Order: sequence, then structure tokens, then C-alpha cells
Amino acid sequence: MSDNMVKIIIDDVEYEVPAGMNVVDAAKWHASNDIPVFCYHPKMEPVGMCRMCLVEMGTLQRNPETGAVMTDEDGNPLVRWFPKLQTACTQVATDGMVFRTNTQAVVDARENVLEFLLTSHPLDCPICDKGGECPLQNLTMAHGPGESRMNFSDKMKLDKHVPLGDLIFLDEERCIQCGRCVRFQDELVGDDVLAFHERGRTLQIITNSDPGFDTYFSGNTTDICPVGALTTADFRFGARPWELTEVPSIDPHDAAGSNISLSVRLDRDFGGRAMIKRVMPRQNEYVNELWISDKARFGHHFTRSEDRLQKPVVDGKDSDWATAISTIAGLLEGADGDIAAIAGSGMSNEDLFALRSLVTANGGKRLGAWPTTHTGADLVAAVGVGVGTNLSDLGAGDAVLIVASDLEEEVPIWRLRLKGAHDRGAYVVVANARKTRMDDFASATPRYQAGKAAHWLDGIDKADPEVAKALKAAQNLVIVAGAEGLTLDGSRALMQSAANFLIDSGHYGKANNGLMSPLPGPNGMGLHYVGFTPEVTADIAQNPPKVLIVAQAEILSDDPYARAWLDKVETIISLNLFPDAVADMAAIALPIQSFAERDGTFTNGERRVQRFYTAQGPMGDALPAWQALSRISEHMGQGKAKASAAAVMVMMSNELPAFEGMRYRELSRTERQFPDISGDDMYYGGTAYQNKGGLGKVIPTTAEQGETPARADVSLPPVLEVGKGQFVVLPATRLYNLESTFRPSTLVHPRIMSPFVEVNAADAARLDINNGDVVEVKLPDVSVRVRASVNGGAPEGALVLPRHLTDDPTPMTVAVGEIAKV
Amino acid sequence: MTHIILREKDVPNIRELDVYLANEGFDGLKKAVSMKPSEVIDEMKRSNLRGRGGAGFPTGIKWSFIPQSEPVKYVVVNADESETGTFKDRQIMENNPYQMIEGALICAYAIQATAVYIYLRGEFWDIAHDLDERIEAARAQNLVGDDILGSGYSCEVYTHLGAGAYICGEESALLNSLEGLLGQPRVRPPFPAQKGGGLYKEPTVVNNVETLANAPYILRVGGEKFAELGTQQSTGTKVICVSGHVNKPGNYELEMGKHTFRDLIFEMAGGIPDGKGIKAILPSGGSGPIVPATDEVLDTKLTYEDCQSIDTILGSASVMILDETVDITWAASKMTKFFKHESCGKCTPCREGTFWLDKVIDRILRGEGKRSDVELINNVAANMQGTTLCALGDFAANPILATIRHFPEDFYAHVDGDDEKAPVKAAGD
Repeated sequence: MSDNMVKIIIDDVEYEVPAGMNVVDAAKWHASNDIPVFCYHPKMEPVGMCRMCLVEMGTLQRNPETGAVMTDEDGNPLVRWFPKLQTACTQVATDGMVFRTNTQAVVDARENVLEFLLTSHPLDCPICDKGGECPLQNLTMAHGPGESRMNFSDKMKLDKHVPLGDLIFLDEERCIQCGRCVRFQDELVGDDVLAFHERGRTLQIITNSDPGFDTYFSGNTTDICPVGALTTADFRFGARPWELTEVPSIDPHDAAGSNISLSVRLDRDFGGRAMIKRVMPRQNEYVNELWISDKARFGHHFTRSEDRLQKPVVDGKDSDWATAISTIAGLLEGADGDIAAIAGSGMSNEDLFALRSLVTANGGKRLGAWPTTHTGADLVAAVGVGVGTNLSDLGAGDAVLIVASDLEEEVPIWRLRLKGAHDRGAYVVVANARKTRMDDFASATPRYQAGKAAHWLDGIDKADPEVAKALKAAQNLVIVAGAEGLTLDGSRALMQSAANFLIDSGHYGKANNGLMSPLPGPNGMGLHYVGFTPEVTADIAQNPPKVLIVAQAEILSDDPYARAWLDKVETIISLNLFPDAVADMAAIALPIQSFAERDGTFTNGERRVQRFYTAQGPMGDALPAWQALSRISEHMGQGKAKASAAAVMVMMSNELPAFEGMRYRELSRTERQFPDISGDDMYYGGTAYQNKGGLGKVIPTTAEQGETPARADVSLPPVLEVGKGQFVVLPATRLYNLESTFRPSTLVHPRIMSPFVEVNAADAARLDINNGDVVEVKLPDVSVRVRASVNGGAPEGALVLPRHLTDDPTPMTVAVGEIAKV
Repeated sequence: MTHIILREKDVPNIRELDVYLANEGFDGLKKAVSMKPSEVIDEMKRSNLRGRGGAGFPTGIKWSFIPQSEPVKYVVVNADESETGTFKDRQIMENNPYQMIEGALICAYAIQATAVYIYLRGEFWDIAHDLDERIEAARAQNLVGDDILGSGYSCEVYTHLGAGAYICGEESALLNSLEGLLGQPRVRPPFPAQKGGGLYKEPTVVNNVETLANAPYILRVGGEKFAELGTQQSTGTKVICVSGHVNKPGNYELEMGKHTFRDLIFEMAGGIPDGKGIKAILPSGGSGPIVPATDEVLDTKLTYEDCQSIDTILGSASVMILDETVDITWAASKMTKFFKHESCGKCTPCREGTFWLDKVIDRILRGEGKRSDVELINNVAANMQGTTLCALGDFAANPILATIRHFPEDFYAHVDGDDEKAPVKAAGD
């Protein structure tokens, strides 16, 4: 028995369990004994309020002198039993604890608690979204009384459609006051926007934020709700759980690569075709645990948007694949090798590899990544977080540095998990030119001048010696380096500074240490591993090629300055989900499939290669990008078209060292994860949580493969020249925005901010700008009219201009501009 | 007997600081600060004083649970006085306030607390205002604040008003309320005395007003002398709040073990009005089990242990008298409505059980009940007992369990003798 293991007895059988483990969890994990619970959730502090987990509890009697366990005549250990039943959820395992979970007293207590819970429950299971995956249903069947002694007409009659916000509805009758939702928001998210109101039987959940339920994680409360009290505006009354097929997938919106489950059924609303009815989290304790952001949950409507590009377009006219492919083949042949490609992060690894193969086979060399805001993925590949990293492991003695990123808006799941690290005692530093939400969960919040993130980190020993010292001294250190307020050169300098810091302090090449970056989209690291870099995109912009393939990169929607150089490209071939402005100017626009229509892999920001599976049929004639591209290759005599994404992976694993040995079968492997979530589980009554799609596989850093990472000199970008009356304009990311993959989720539109610019109060006073005034922000060649927000968000001398809130693009990288009241 | 707690009955105007000081006021604190903190706790242990809030836990032992190594510790005075029929703390704070403040400071010194919070029920706003002034008056005499009595020990005293909830008299709900949170009990352990369990997670002693008001006397005369009063298990005096059907309701401070219920009701409180007979006694308000006023009960002495022997509790000693005209079902209904109103809603059995009980008793009182409804409420109440986080669940079950046990005929008088003939309201009933 190791030091941190203790022996406890459950129903007369002795188990060795970790000391301090919650007894409900210990019974489930070690003894396969499901002590029923409603309020307890293994990710949150126990509160012992539902009383469902009452058990008999005692301690072994020991001889006070020898310490030996005392026994009766038959040799059975003597137990000192507590006079009352105890809640298992509020007990942690200590040596010599004894539990009985199957005695008449316990059986009676369970039955009684269920009878109490059901006294005022509406029993509207036949129309309840939770029916079929409801812990209250499941536990009533297992432990409840056959019938109620409560007079049905005496039941509480309460409001059944209370919108807590735009996304979540509360049915007050179904609520059993377990408080999981309140505690989730309070403990795990830190947005304590829910609360109990009133007391006794009138105790109800309310929201105390304006707008209601103002958080990016609200949907998770509907999952952990043990009844159908909380439902999403997206799914409520949409389908019964048993009609749904769970398809494992990956959140296509950000670098976290949250494991999700697409709940699909054949649906009248989609012409009888397979339709995504809801998005659920899928357990992956390394990646997203049991949580997803509301963007992941509610941002799936684009996959079946009628605005999708559904047919190949050749010379402005709808066409077919055969025509498109032969036309493209002709264009590529006539390009004399002057071919380049720019790919966005929505492309899967397989898509990217097929694109790379096509370009290189036809003499092209330049593979650009989009957008050109973030770089340094090569450094993440070198000194990124080591294999086995789990942000949930970070705690006391560890440190996290988040620099130049508004993590809440960029990768909300990382923000959620790093908030947890802070709660566990990790030293979390949030460095930025401005205040961001993560500041609320930080131990230190150093500020640097707008645009000078790299300068700050490169000179941190002088600028913030205390912070630098604490970071270096940490047992484990993770740096999350973004690119907010930087140019591409600035991003390079910041990433190199971060890498240097890690190399100097030895925090690399091992689990829970190293570099991460909130690269935009789901496959920023995949772009790097397949050879697409933003620096090449910059080169392409400088020296436009004859033929440019633009794949899932909405360049013109992102960048107000791109049209100038795109105009110089002779021929553009576009692959995209939507007929965007690039497709408009392309000679040929190919409709490709979204993540939901085909299978493939993304490589997340922690370099975990993860599979997603086919959930819905294709929109129109759309093909997976890899298939479209490899058909072109075949047409040009450059190898046979691949039959499946898996086959592309095999080929890729042979050619690209990063993917060496990687096979779909391996990526779809799972393991038993804590907490144990399986069918009919008391923590979640359904099966969507179950990970049947695989935990993925992490590409080791080069440091872990034996390559000693080398420090490199940081080439700091020139300091911006800000003239009199001018401001540094910092582009910022908003989670909810008008990007094409989110715009079709109209139910979230009320939560998308109206276009605004944040102005510092002192600057605003000088310019006579008041909160809410319409202002014009003038930048080189671009000007936008937005409303001024004077709320302390912007540092003096700087404007914060969120991107993708207007139809007209605003600058992607830091710039100098002016502001005037209209 | 001279009073220990209700000293205004012996010394007029003891509520004024000069009068209090002229009558041994703050001598206990002076004595305390001349001792080591641990010696003060030992003195309290020797007194065998038990908490006057209702649970009767030995005060000295409670103080000794505070880990001395922790730098921040608190004393919280429970002046929520929310138990039905209790009005003693109010009288103490209105008429002998400095004794409570002194007692709180003795406790604070004994555990080396950094601050004292007096948590008063919201309706006591006038008392809180008065206490604030008295705290300032004491500060002017160097009795509160920095370097108390030149001892080098400093302690602040604050008042805080609750928002009006019975449950906030429960110590962990009180702490939540004091922190600005919803007034709901906390999971224990950790207990308030432990790191992580008290006010703002720091070790905290929570004591009732009357309990602390005993401390100055104990320090002045010594714990052993105090323990000579009363019985071995119930030392000292107890302020008994008498209400209900008596001629002279009010607070009576009695040496424990010297008087019976009969003495209390018929001698001190002047007997039952209009010469009516006595039917039942609630020795501890609505939360303790009711007892029929038999000779055995009337001859029971007022101590913790004697009350236990007749299957009830002394609790906070809020003795309510019910005369022979009272329908015990009506009384049970009133008490159930109180607990239904005051259940915090945290634990399932209490939240749902009080609501359910109220519905069924109402039905019985309307004459629409059945014989089986009596068994139903008895069973529902039994299922609430011992299954909740705090004692409110047990308290809420008591009125039903004890009233049915002792006065079943009062319930059955309301229901039709034959279940078959009783009105059937709905399926599933």
C-alpha cells in the first residue's frame, strides 16, 4: 500500500483508494458501486443538499494501544457506526472508513428522497427534452417508489418557460434545486451570473446578469442539469434523445479542438436528411474535459446553411466537377510552375496535404497560411507543451503566462481550464496592453504599451523582474502567446521571446511545460505541420503568382488591404464553404464540405491530432477538399485519387515526419477517464458524453524527439510611430462575430456586439466622445463608423477595434489611425 | 436570587456604561486579559457552561477547538434570536448590553480573535443602532479597539443585520449570511472552529448572546464557583422565555435544576388565564417536541438532562404553554407553516417535506382528510428526520411526530372514521 492510498470498506469488501478521494467517486471508480447523486458532480465542490447519496457510515474500531482493528467472536471487524445516515458526497476517503450502501436504511432513504423530489415534479417526461437521458428518470426507476403519495393537485405550479438569457430556458417546475448550474457558473467558469432566489419550496434559479445568463459557457449547465429544467433555445423540443445518433467530432471554431458529439437524426426540417440537432461535449480530459463553449455548441448551423456554395462555379457560371477539374488542370499546366496556395485553418490535415501535393507536383513551392496574424507555430512544434500535458494538472507551484491574447474571446475552453489552474494555486500571469477577462483569474497582470508585447517579454527581466523570477522558479510553466496588437513580425518576435524564455528556464520538452498559441481556427498547427506558413502568405502578397489556390481562407472578408494584391493574381482558384468575395473574383470556385459532412483530422493548439466523423450529408455537390484536390491531381496524371481521408493520412504519414506512424485506428483509441462517464451515468444521464471517437494523439515536440532547441535572437519589430492626434489601433477578437461559419447561427445574433471601438476615458474626454457616440475610425485607406465604448477597456492612446463585427473588414494587425466624432 | 444575566432587575440602568462599570462591569475582561488566553478557556471549561442557543454544547470546549496557530480568527455573536417563542437575547441586549459585549471580548481574547461580529436579526435594527453607540462608548473607555485596557490585545466589534430568516440562526447559515451569501447551512466538516469552516474560512467561535453574557460572571467569580449553581450537567442559570396561555408571560432567569415546569408556570408565570386547564407544553418553541402537561412533565426540573428524560429538549428554553382549549392539530399546522416558510430549500427532505406536510394538514383541518392522512404525515415527517444537512429538517418533523404521538385524538377528530367514505380528490392520492 503506497503512502497516498488508504483502505476503505464498502459493503463488506475492502478497497484500496487514493486518500482524500471523494467517496462517491471512489465507490464508482474502484468498487463499481454507483451511489446515486443529483447535486454532486465530480468537477465541483460537494454541497450535500439533494440527500440522494445517504449511506451508512462508520469507522473501524481500533485497539487504542496496538492500533489493531478490533473484531468480534467471528473475526468480523468491529465498526463504530454513525447514528445517522451520512451523505457520501461530503466524505473523503480516509483509512478505516466503512460504508454500507445496500442496507434497508439506505434503500429507504433513497426511496424517500426520490419521493420527496417527485412530490412537486411535473412528471411531464413525455414532452421533456431530458426524457430518455434523465438522471431523475433513471434513478427513480432504480431506487424510487412505485407511486407517489402526494396529491397531484397539491403540486407546485410554476412558470415553465423562463428565458434565463437568449440561449437557455428554465422550467421552474422541473427544477429540483440541485444547484449544479449555479455552482458550475460560480466555481468552474467564474461568471457567477446564476443564483438561487427565495427559499424553501419557492427556491428558484435566477440570472442576475444583464443580458441574462451572460457567459460563454451557459450550454454546459443544460448538460449537467439532472432534470429537464434547463434547455437550450437551439435544441428544446427539437428531438427525443433516443432518436439521436451521436457522431464524434471536433469543435471547428478554435485551437482548443474541443471534443464534441454531433447529435444527428433524419429530420423533416432538413428535407428528411441527417441533421445536426444539437452539439454536446464529448469527454476528453486532456482537451476539454466535459465542457464546451457556447460557440462550439450553438455554432453548427453553418454546415447546412442555404447560403453554402453548392456547385462548382466556372467563369461565374454554375458548372459541374468534371468541367471544373479539367479547367483547373489546364490552368495549372499553363502556369509554368508559378503556382501558390493559401489555406485557412478550417482545412483538415488531409485537405492540406492534398493541396500541398497538388501545388508541389505542379512546380509550385509557396504554401501560405491564413490569416497572417499569428505565426510561430514552428516554435510550438519545437518547444510546445510536452506529451501528456493536461491543463488540469497545473496548480500550486506551477505558473502560466498568457501574453497578447484575450483568451476568453479567442479560446474560451483554455480560459476555463486555466481559471481552474489559478483556483488550484497556479501563478497565472496575464500580460496585455489592455484589460481582458482573464485578468479576473490572474495572479499578476503586467501591462505593456500597445503593440509592444514582444518588447515586454524580451525585456521581462528588467520590466517585471518579480514576475520573471516567479515564472522561472515555477515547477511547471506553460506560456500561451497570442498575437493581439502585433504585426506578423511582432508575432514572430513574441513567439521567439517566449521560446527563449522557456529554453532558458528549462520549461520545455516535458508534460505540462512549454508553449501554446491561440492560433485562429481549429487547425493552426496542422497548417504548420503540412508546411503552410503565414510568412509565405506575406511573400505571396508581395509577389503574386500566376495561379493562386485559396482554400477556406476568406481573405477579403478578413483583410481590407488584400484586394490590392489579389487583383494582381492572374488566376484565382477558390475552395470554400461559402461564395465569399474571393470566390467572386476566382476563375473557378469549388464547393467543399464542412467538418460535419465528411471525416478527417485537425491538429489542435496542443498538437493533438484528433478525428472528426461524418455527421450529415453534403450540401449540394460539395466534396471534401482533399477529394476535390486529389481528383485534380489524378486528372493531371499525378497519382490516383485517394479513396478516403484515412488513405490520405497514410500517405501523409509516409511523407511528413510529424505524422509518422499516425493511423486513424490509433487516433480513435480511448481509455477509461476520470470521472467515469458512461451510459445511464448519474453524472449525466445520456450517452453523448461518451468518447467513442478517440482521444487523438499528440505530435511530440522536436525537443522531446531529442532535438535540442536553440535560442534565437529576437528581432524586435520597429516601434509604431504615433503622431499627434493619432492612436494605436489594436484589433481584437470577439468570440461571437459575423464570420461566415458563425453568422448562420442566428439564435446567437442577439449576443453579437454591435460594431464598436473602445476608447480610453481620458482620450474620450479630450475628444468630447461619450459612451455610445457614433465615431469614425480612420486608418490608412480604411475607415469605419462604429459606436464608441468608453468603459475602461482601452489603454490611453490606443483604440481597441474588434474584428468581424461589421460587413466591411477592419485591419487584422496593429495599425495607427485617428478617431473623430461623427 | 440575584440575577447573573438579567441584572437590570437588580441594578437599574445597568445598560448605561457608568452604571455597568460601577457594578463590576468589565471586571471579567480585566481579569481575562491578565491571564493567558488558554487559562481563560480553562476557566470556561471549569464552569461547564453549556451553549444557551439551544444545542447546549459546552462553551469552553468549543473555544478550545480554535487552532491557536492561525493568525486570523473571529468571534461571531449569534443574536439572530429566531427560535419561536424566544425573546431573551433581545432583553439582554436592550437592558444589559455591555455584559454581552464584555463576554464577547473575553471570548475574543481567549481565542485571540481579530474581530467580533454581532449578527442580529433584521428586525433588531434599533438594537443594532443602540449597540453601535455603546461600542463607541466602550471604545472611549479603552474597552474596545486598540490595546484594550492596556493589555496589548486589540479587537474590533461590529454589528451586522440579517435579512430576516430563521435559518440564519443556524451557525453555518449565519456565517454565509454574514459573508453576504445566501443564508443556507454549510457542509460540515470543516466546522466553524476549523480553518476553512468559519467566517471567511477562518476559525470562528459562534456563540449565543446569553452564552457570552455568562462569561464576565464566570471570569469574575471563577468557573468552579459558577459550576456550583445548577446541576452537574446543567450549571448556572438559564433565562426561560415563557409565553402562550399564562398570566404573566416574560423572561425568568432561574438557577437550573431548582425549579420544575410547575413552579415556572403556576408560580412565576401566574398560572393559566381564566382558570383553564393546561394541555401541553412546548419547552423549546416549535422546534422541540411537544409534551402533554401531565404531572410527570409538570414535575420535571428545568435542566438539559431532565427535559431529555421526558423525550423533549430544553433547547433555548422558550417555553410555550397551550391551554385545554387548543386543538393540537391547529398548533401543529401553525408550526408546520412556520417551518415551511423558513426552510431554506437546500435539502430535499426539508424543502419538499415541509411543503407536503402543510398541504396535508391543511386538508385535514378543512375536514377533507382521511384517517390515512394522519399516518401519511407521520411517515413523511419520520422520513425528514435525520436526513438533512442542518437541524431544521428535524425541527420541522418534531411538531408532527410529537403531536401525533401525544395527541392522536386531536388529529383523528378531524378525519372521517372510514377511509372509504372520505372524499377522494385525485388519482394518486
